[in-house]
Amino acid sequence: MNGSKKPAASRSVVRAMIWATVPVLLLVQLLASAGVEISSFWSQIRQLDARIARVAESRAELIAEPLWKMRYDQVTGVLNEIMHDETIAAAAVYDDTGVVIARVVARPTVQALTEISRPIAYSNGNIAVQAGRIVIAYSYATLYVDAGSRLGLLLVVGLLGTLATVIAMRISANNFIGKPLAAMMSAIQRSKQDGRAYPADVKSSNEFGQLAQAFNAMQHTTSGALDRLGHMASHDPLTGLPNRRSLSERLVTLSKEAASPDALIAFNFIDLDDFKAVNDTFGHDAGDKFLVHISERLRGTVGPADWVARLGGDEFVVIRPEVGNEAAAQAFARQLLDAISAPILLHDKQVVPRASIGLAVRRAGDPELSHLPALADIALYHAKSKAPGTVAVLDEALQRHYRRRRDLELTIPTAFSEGQFEVWYQSQVDLETQDVTGLEALIRWRHPEHGVISPVEFLPLIERSGNNARLTRYVLTDACRALQHLAAAGRPQIRIAINLPPSELADHSLASELRETCERFGVAASSLELEITEGSLINNIASASDTLRRLRRLGATIALDDFGTGYSSLAHLRRFPLDKVKIDKAFIREIPESAEDKAIVGVIASLAGTLGLTLVAEGIERAEQAQAMREMGVRLGQGFLYHRPQPLAAVLRELAAAGGNRERVLADSPPIAPEFAF
Amino acid sequence: MTVLLRILLAMGIAWGALAPAGCAVAADAKPLNIVFVNPGKTGEVYWDMVAQTMQAAGRKLNAHVEVLTSERNYRTMQELGLGVVARADKPDYLILSNEESAAVPILEAAEAAGVKTLLLSNTLIGEDAVRLGPPRAKLKSWLGDITTDLTTAGARMANALIGAARQEKWQSPDGKIHLLGIGGDEITPASIARNAGLQLAVAAAPDVVVDRMLFANWTQSEAEKVAANYLGWAQRKGIRPAGIWAGNDPMALGALKAVEAAGITPGETIQVVGLNWSEDALREIKAGRLLLTDGGHFLLGGWSVVLLRDHADGCDFASASPHVEVKTSAITRDNLGSVAGLIKVRAFDRIDFARFRAKPDRCGQYDFSVDALISSLSPPSGTAE
Repeated sequence: MNGSKKPAASRSVVRAMIWATVPVLLLVQLLASAGVEISSFWSQIRQLDARIARVAESRAELIAEPLWKMRYDQVTGVLNEIMHDETIAAAAVYDDTGVVIARVVARPTVQALTEISRPIAYSNGNIAVQAGRIVIAYSYATLYVDAGSRLGLLLVVGLLGTLATVIAMRISANNFIGKPLAAMMSAIQRSKQDGRAYPADVKSSNEFGQLAQAFNAMQHTTSGALDRLGHMASHDPLTGLPNRRSLSERLVTLSKEAASPDALIAFNFIDLDDFKAVNDTFGHDAGDKFLVHISERLRGTVGPADWVARLGGDEFVVIRPEVGNEAAAQAFARQLLDAISAPILLHDKQVVPRASIGLAVRRAGDPELSHLPALADIALYHAKSKAPGTVAVLDEALQRHYRRRRDLELTIPTAFSEGQFEVWYQSQVDLETQDVTGLEALIRWRHPEHGVISPVEFLPLIERSGNNARLTRYVLTDACRALQHLAAAGRPQIRIAINLPPSELADHSLASELRETCERFGVAASSLELEITEGSLINNIASASDTLRRLRRLGATIALDDFGTGYSSLAHLRRFPLDKVKIDKAFIREIPESAEDKAIVGVIASLAGTLGLTLVAEGIERAEQAQAMREMGVRLGQGFLYHRPQPLAAVLRELAAAGGNRERVLADSPPIAPEFAF
Repeated sequence: MTVLLRILLAMGIAWGALAPAGCAVAADAKPLNIVFVNPGKTGEVYWDMVAQTMQAAGRKLNAHVEVLTSERNYRTMQELGLGVVARADKPDYLILSNEESAAVPILEAAEAAGVKTLLLSNTLIGEDAVRLGPPRAKLKSWLGDITTDLTTAGARMANALIGAARQEKWQSPDGKIHLLGIGGDEITPASIARNAGLQLAVAAAPDVVVDRMLFANWTQSEAEKVAANYLGWAQRKGIRPAGIWAGNDPMALGALKAVEAAGITPGETIQVVGLNWSEDALREIKAGRLLLTDGGHFLLGGWSVVLLRDHADGCDFASASPHVEVKTSAITRDNLGSVAGLIKVRAFDRIDFARFRAKPDRCGQYDFSVDALISSLSPPSGTAE
């Protein structure tokens, strides 16, 4: 198959096999050869010894008579005959006196010689005597040479055998292992390239053939699973629409597929309004069905070139790759909204879906094309916050706003570390005596670039960035320090109110931290007032009331802020351990002109009086308002008529200036908390 | 000395030439035709002398002796013998020597042809002897054989050595007299008989040992070599060699050489004996280096003609025995003078063979002793002149 892969596959397996077996094979062969050769060598040595012994004995027999009969020339002759034997280096015959009768030397030799000696026995009919002895010196040199050459031959044969084995192994391993592996490797490589299943082309019926079959079957299965996985990864299982992941891919291809760089691309970021309510009301199955309906409508509305995706939850995206102008894009977005807004029947009830759309239009050549979702999201955020159920188009102002928000968000940690947050205080006064009874701590952000930023703008950012607790403790610490200053200034009766964001009510450690902070600064917890909103109570009733009770046990008073704008639940007033209720300034603003507002405040005041709650009127700007409040029995007030929020130093100065009224204020000081405004 | 010898030679020749005229006694007898198939080679001293004495006797006893030489080739010998048997004019007697048993086919052919045969020196042995039986039994024409008693010769030689050694007290440190025997070979009856004589003599002498019985193929050079080897060995063994017994004269002469080479004086500290009455031996005896040479068996040639003459004349030697065994005799310094001239010039015509014929009433009884020989000799012709 793939030529370049084959040798690689065969190299690894086959070479490993060869490396694993060949040295062993070679070693065994060599050892076996050497063993055989050594044993053969020893047996040859023994044979040679025996042969020379036989030669000596046979020569002794032949030599006996000429020796006895003193035919020494014949002795020499007989002796000479054995010198044809090339292993014999020398031979000698001694007579019975030990004198050399004959001596023949074949060749001077430097090698060690072995000697064998045999008696020469002569006998005839009458006598049997030892006529002398024969000594033969011989060498194993030829045997050594022979053994050496045979060893060499065996080595060569062994090497050739090993070589042949290696070649045979290589060829057979290539055929039986390498090729099927290469075929499978090739199939895997191709599959890796495009994710499709390629069968390995292995025909044999052996284990590799079976492996290849199994592999092919697995490939097939895996490929199907991969296809499904791939689809699942890029599609929303509920609606079958492409998901967020597909969006990123889609964004990459958008500019490439565009007809020209100037072509306008419309990006619609759709978010269903109150989808949570659908889920809560009809259940999640109905919610899913609802989403499927929406997706089908979107599909039905868009053209073939358009692209619809569900990013998750109730968020959808519709991209129209080419629109004539921004107006056309807006028209298309409204078309989408209209399509969505047709009623849907859920559990026999008609539900009218509502959605907001953030629309961003950009040229195909725009380098910021990949930011389209973020840009559309800005617009959507705007739409949701400002005018739900409408289309918001991303414009310069929106973008500026968005950039400022982002900028602020990014500088929150710096703001903490560099102490850019400041706590200002606005006083609450006794409407009768005009004495200051308490201060509300209000946070400000003195930004080095943007100047003093209103909490209305940055508190959501603080909450989103998870810094609520930190900011609360920051304010608490500042408030405690302020209490110290107040005490030092001879106004220990003035209380300070701080606002608790909803998340803090769920924090069980708040009470103990508050106690510790108070102890650290040597101030009484009873000098602190904690303002909460109705919304924060509703989200977590049990834990909120638990926290409130703990705080109250410490001596702190609890005030319900902005009463009248939210649920204004009378049950809440009874159920939670409240000390104070602050009437929202929306009811104060039209007083005394608005009889309705006067009536509402009158009812609230009456109710509070019944429940034993102290009332605080917020946003008093005019003396008539203060008058009206006094008349309706509202005890305390807060507003520009008295004091604007200002740094502690300024508050202390004013208090010092109004020092003359101090004795009176002390005489009737109810538990009061200042306004806590965002 | 040489002058004397020359004179003797001259006389011998003259006597030989005159002899036919001088032998008138036998002239009236029927002339005989005798063929001798000589197994030896021309120049081979013993067989030459056998043929010469045969012819000398023929001249004395009115017999024509034809000598055919087979030159030591037994095939030739058989061809010659069979040729003689097949002749139209057949000889009266055919003399053969059964060397290597090669004469047997000729004997059988002669039987068929009716030619009378006599075996000289070597008779039938072994299987042949068993198969063909004694003379004149199966083979009627095989008259008998004339041989030498070489065993006695061997014993006599040994006894001479032993006697000399005892007299001189040449015992070795072990108290024994140590001898060396040098035989010609170990297979021919002639050699075996001599060697047996040595063994017999030694066996009878408990104070004597033969250290070795060596064999030198009848030749001087080999005898010299083995004798030298023996002397060296004896010296190493601490043996004092007292005598060397040699199966023939050449070997005795070889032994002499070896003795001299070993620094030993022959005749003074060691004795050597030989056999054959060879001229060289006689010279060494005269020089006192050789103790004796036994022999005289070359005279078998002459004696065989004596037997056949008697047989032809009706006095059959078989009346005593078909086997005529002639004793050899030793020539020592004592009797050297009588025969030396005879041998030296081969003046066998000086021998009066007629004197050796059997008396008519005592057929088969012969005295072929050296004494009889000496007394039969006519004076050397040279001296006569």
